[in-house]
Amino acid sequence: MNDSKLVNVTINGVPLQVPKGERIIESARRAGIDIPYFCYHPRLSMENGANCRMCLVEMAMPRTGPDGTVTLAKHPKPQTACSLPADEGMVVETETEAIVKARRGVLEFLLINHPLDCPVCDRGGECPLQNNTLHYGAGASRYIEAKRHYPKAYPLSEHVVLDRERCIQCARCTRFTQDISGDAQLDFLKRGADTQIGTFNAAAFSSLFSGNTIEICPVGALTSRDYRFRARPWDLATQKSICTECSNGCSIKLDHRDGLVLRVNGRVNEAVNEEWTCDRGKFGLPASISGERLTAPLLRDGDRFREVTWDVALGVVAEKLQAAGKQAAVLAGSKLANEDLYALQALCRGGLGSVRYDYRMGTQSSEARDAAAMLFGPNPAPTGIAGLEASPWTLVVGSDLAVEHPIVFLRLRKSWRFGKSKALEMVSSSAPANTHVGAFAWSSVRYADRGLPESLRSACSLLLAEMPGLTATPEIRAWAATGTPPADDTASRRMATALSTGPGTILVGEGALSGPDWREVLVALGHLAGLTGSTGSVNRLVSGCNDRGAEALGFGDWQPGTAGILAGAASGATPALWIAGADPVTQYHDPQVAIAALEQASFVVVSDIKLTATARMADVVLPSCSVAERDGTLTNVEGRVQRFWKAFEPRGSASPDWLIAARLLQRLGKPSVWFGWQDVLADMRSHVAAFGGVSLDALEKDGAMLVAPQVVD
Amino acid sequence: MAELQVLLQHRNVPGIDGIDVYESHGGYAGLRAALGKERQAVIDEVKASGLRGRGGAGFPTWIKWNGLPKSGSAQHYLLCNADEGEPGTFKDRELLLKLPHMVVEGMAIAAYATRSANGFVYVRGEFVESATQLRKAIDQAYRRGYLGRNILGRSDFCFDLHIHTGAGSYECGEETALMSSLMGERGQPRLKPPHGPLPVVSGVWGSPTLINNVETYACVPHILTHGGAWYAAMGTQRSPGTKIFSVSGHVARPGNYEIELGTPLTELIELAGGVVGGALKAVIPGGSSVPILPAEKCAGVTLDYEGCQAAGTMLGSGGFMVFNDKTDIVALMRRTAQFYAHESCGKCTPCREGTRWISRVLDRITAGAGRMEDIDLLLSICDQIDGRSYCPLGDAASWPIRAGIRNFRHEFEHWVRHGSSPIPGFVPPVRSHGPGPVPGRQE
Ligand SMILES: Cc1cc2nc3c(=O)[nH]c(=O)nc-3n(C[C@H](O)[C@H](O)[C@H](O)COP(=O)(O)O)c2cc1C
Ligand code: SF4
Ligand code: SF4
Ligand code: SF4
Ligand code: FES
Repeated sequence: MNDSKLVNVTINGVPLQVPKGERIIESARRAGIDIPYFCYHPRLSMENGANCRMCLVEMAMPRTGPDGTVTLAKHPKPQTACSLPADEGMVVETETEAIVKARRGVLEFLLINHPLDCPVCDRGGECPLQNNTLHYGAGASRYIEAKRHYPKAYPLSEHVVLDRERCIQCARCTRFTQDISGDAQLDFLKRGADTQIGTFNAAAFSSLFSGNTIEICPVGALTSRDYRFRARPWDLATQKSICTECSNGCSIKLDHRDGLVLRVNGRVNEAVNEEWTCDRGKFGLPASISGERLTAPLLRDGDRFREVTWDVALGVVAEKLQAAGKQAAVLAGSKLANEDLYALQALCRGGLGSVRYDYRMGTQSSEARDAAAMLFGPNPAPTGIAGLEASPWTLVVGSDLAVEHPIVFLRLRKSWRFGKSKALEMVSSSAPANTHVGAFAWSSVRYADRGLPESLRSACSLLLAEMPGLTATPEIRAWAATGTPPADDTASRRMATALSTGPGTILVGEGALSGPDWREVLVALGHLAGLTGSTGSVNRLVSGCNDRGAEALGFGDWQPGTAGILAGAASGATPALWIAGADPVTQYHDPQVAIAALEQASFVVVSDIKLTATARMADVVLPSCSVAERDGTLTNVEGRVQRFWKAFEPRGSASPDWLIAARLLQRLGKPSVWFGWQDVLADMRSHVAAFGGVSLDALEKDGAMLVAPQVVD
Repeated sequence: MAELQVLLQHRNVPGIDGIDVYESHGGYAGLRAALGKERQAVIDEVKASGLRGRGGAGFPTWIKWNGLPKSGSAQHYLLCNADEGEPGTFKDRELLLKLPHMVVEGMAIAAYATRSANGFVYVRGEFVESATQLRKAIDQAYRRGYLGRNILGRSDFCFDLHIHTGAGSYECGEETALMSSLMGERGQPRLKPPHGPLPVVSGVWGSPTLINNVETYACVPHILTHGGAWYAAMGTQRSPGTKIFSVSGHVARPGNYEIELGTPLTELIELAGGVVGGALKAVIPGGSSVPILPAEKCAGVTLDYEGCQAAGTMLGSGGFMVFNDKTDIVALMRRTAQFYAHESCGKCTPCREGTRWISRVLDRITAGAGRMEDIDLLLSICDQIDGRSYCPLGDAASWPIRAGIRNFRHEFEHWVRHGSSPIPGFVPPVRSHGPGPVPGRQE
């Protein structure tokens, strides 16, 4: 709506220059004038908004009479500031007697059917309805009729519970599912005073993003099953954090009490998640760090573990590592912080002279990764998340984006919603009929098992046919002409049309380059990127939380990789293995291989927050800290280094992995100078070029981008 | 004292709903006349007629027509509002039933003038017979070349006309809610100026859209056949032409009456055979949404937009309801309030909550449990809805109640004092209401 043209408006006598079309509620806010509201939300569409009527203001516009004189014509009715676009000469009053009266009226209406069960409501204390009532509400109710009654605690899904009596019908939740997540699962049922929220045919609210509706609901109508009745807002402490459940790295807030995370809320980061989270993070993160936690080091004693002191445990580990020397190896989990990885690396290289460390649990080989870097440049994600908004088309290959990269998915959808981008998708025919991207994709092309290279080649071939003038080497033309003739279905043709419009963005899921056909996929991707002029915007999306950090640190550079390490453990070539925050028994792509290796390994130490399946097979188990119990940084899928803050004390004597590594270095006679996580970061910044640009200032805000390595020929 | 029938002149001619009889009575001459003119000249003719929208608001028709883009390749849509849900109004129903070709012809003319290639008639769901008649008429018009491709041989004029039936919502007659409904969305209104674009700029599917009432379209063929000046010569200067009034209530001959605008109100009552069952007590001249006029204020009122306004009410859609002195006004207001509470779409707070509240209070008063302060409470609730709702339904819910109390306060007081009707022997119907069965699973 906004265009860059500025217009003059006057709000409560204050003259302002604001972009034409800006909603007056926003103009007023910037001028320090708060207009109360319920339904307004800047990221939700206006079309189903402007319904609560709380933000009413008086408005006048200049009118030129027939004789040329300009008079102010006041609108006969008050107008909703949340939907009122600023226009030249507009005069707005937000606190007149009439307006205060109007707001009082709206509040009275909202309250007549409200249960007023604030004392047991999850929103109590952070409720706009409570707050506005304090400002505008009348003392006593004039309503003596029966209130609306519905059964309480209607379960919309396994996560979200609806209290229809508390709902004020603001349509924020419905608009979220329509505008943002796009699944449109919530809508209003019935009409008039019977209007209520629901799903079609009472189906479960299965959206991958359902938790956001709890956050934006201005009252306690939508609540979390996990959090319901567990705390009052004023009992909670809040800490800024980063979600560790996937590589997107959402900025979040941890609401905690007594060393427990009770609730995860989104935190604004315009570069990454805007303000959203996905359900995996919102509900999964608290679950993943709660429950039975390790609190003290454990030492194997036959079939069982015995609690020991750190001194004893570290003594055993140091001895075994030292004995193994450069044969010792480390496997790191994807949730480890940059500082942990750097310290583990220092331990291996500096302390033991070993280069055997890795973090990868999938089937993607180093070769595939290196070859991709050669083809598309060293920065695996040059476009970035926000960059998707400017891309005229974005092709997704080899990823169920909404599941693997929920926030990247939301951004892609956003760029489509504002008409800026065409979404294209190449998806395996074994994927469900309605893929998440497919729901709004300009074209969704299906390929048979192992058919991705063929599908890409077909797209190139159609593209060449569409644009005869395209520069392409004879080799590429010949390649495009081999194999089966190009597919000639509507989806393929639409894809070619979009690709022919110029450079765009390609998002490559980890799966695409993890199969035995990765070479063919790469070649075909290379040609497609070349033909469309998009070689510089091929993004390889890593899946694990800090995989990007590990990659930037060169953590997976040792060629035999995880497979080699596990093989070494089995054969005795790796006499000592430290598995830090990883659970190969459940995470390695071939669990049997991992289990066999651990069974035969001579010495395994596992550091983790819980007694995982892998830890059960270890000789020594060390308790480490979750993201909530320590400080540090993580690097997300687009290479953004982001800070998280300690929310509460670690359990028992648990310690972050970087500190365990530091203490081991000490025992190995190679003491570090790290007294805090910042010292590790400082070291990393001066020794690892990729982290050279990570300023502490930026870490306090939206995070800092990794410096992409320079290409050296 | 007589009707002046322009639209309804041939309504009782056998077979007038068929295309042959319609043509032999001058049908489709208006379309032919229009096609003999430039598109702008057609709009100018409508301008000259002074025709004002018959859907309720009385907005000058030509201004809307003139507001659609005159160049460019954007698709334009033409909508006919046949939702006719306003209590007391039943003129569109009869027009579609008996004179469907007149509406089709009017729309074809409007389509030509506004370069619209697609039209929809949004017919109230309950009007099954009217929709069937319209279907027949549209089919016949296609076969005669009045609809479809290259109409009457004009390669630059194609117009397809579709029927869409509603599903039982008064609010879907509000033009933007109608558009939402037509697009398959929930029947709720959309933003209008100054918050959003006018339909003629961006209506259905984001395209310029013209919407007019059935009767408005039905006037158009006559204007094109006989000229705008001819039409403007009827009625008053500011409310030209004729208007159909749906007369109901305590009259001898209820039905649709077409009269010149500006006709005295009392004359219309006489036309309908006069008041029966008692003396005149009140009139609601324009459908349930407009303020009620007590008998003593009826004298001298003329039925034109300005005349009604001067009398403190509105012409509205012409739903003319006559009440004799056996009418319990409080019960009438209660029934009216129930209607709006039932039809509120629920989108905005004041209307959603306020209409139900009014209805509940009136239920209580007519159950004999009223309190004196309830009367002012009702007025206060009306004030809190009026002007603050998202669409005019909220306003329209408050006006009749407010007028009812202003003009008949003593009857409300009687109910409160005695717990019974001021009309001897009158017992209001009992009605229980509350939220209906709740769909979905229960925990
Ligand atoms: C609640 C509500 C219901 C309405 N119902 C109808 C209706 O049933 N038929 C109609 O023609 N106009 C109805 N209107 C008026 C329309 O919004 C619109 O003004 C009209 O269709 C325009 O046509 P006209 O210019 O030919 O009068 C309604 C308005 C409101 C606010
Ligand atoms: S459930 Fe909450 S967000 Fe949804 S409409 Fe009701 S009050 Fe608004
Ligand atoms: S998208 Fe990823 S980082 Fe964000 S909340 Fe979900 S799991 Fe966490
Ligand atoms: S006034 Fe509000 S609730 Fe009533 S019909 Fe209009 S939008 Fe719906
Ligand atoms: S905030 Fe503007 S109407 Fe709700």
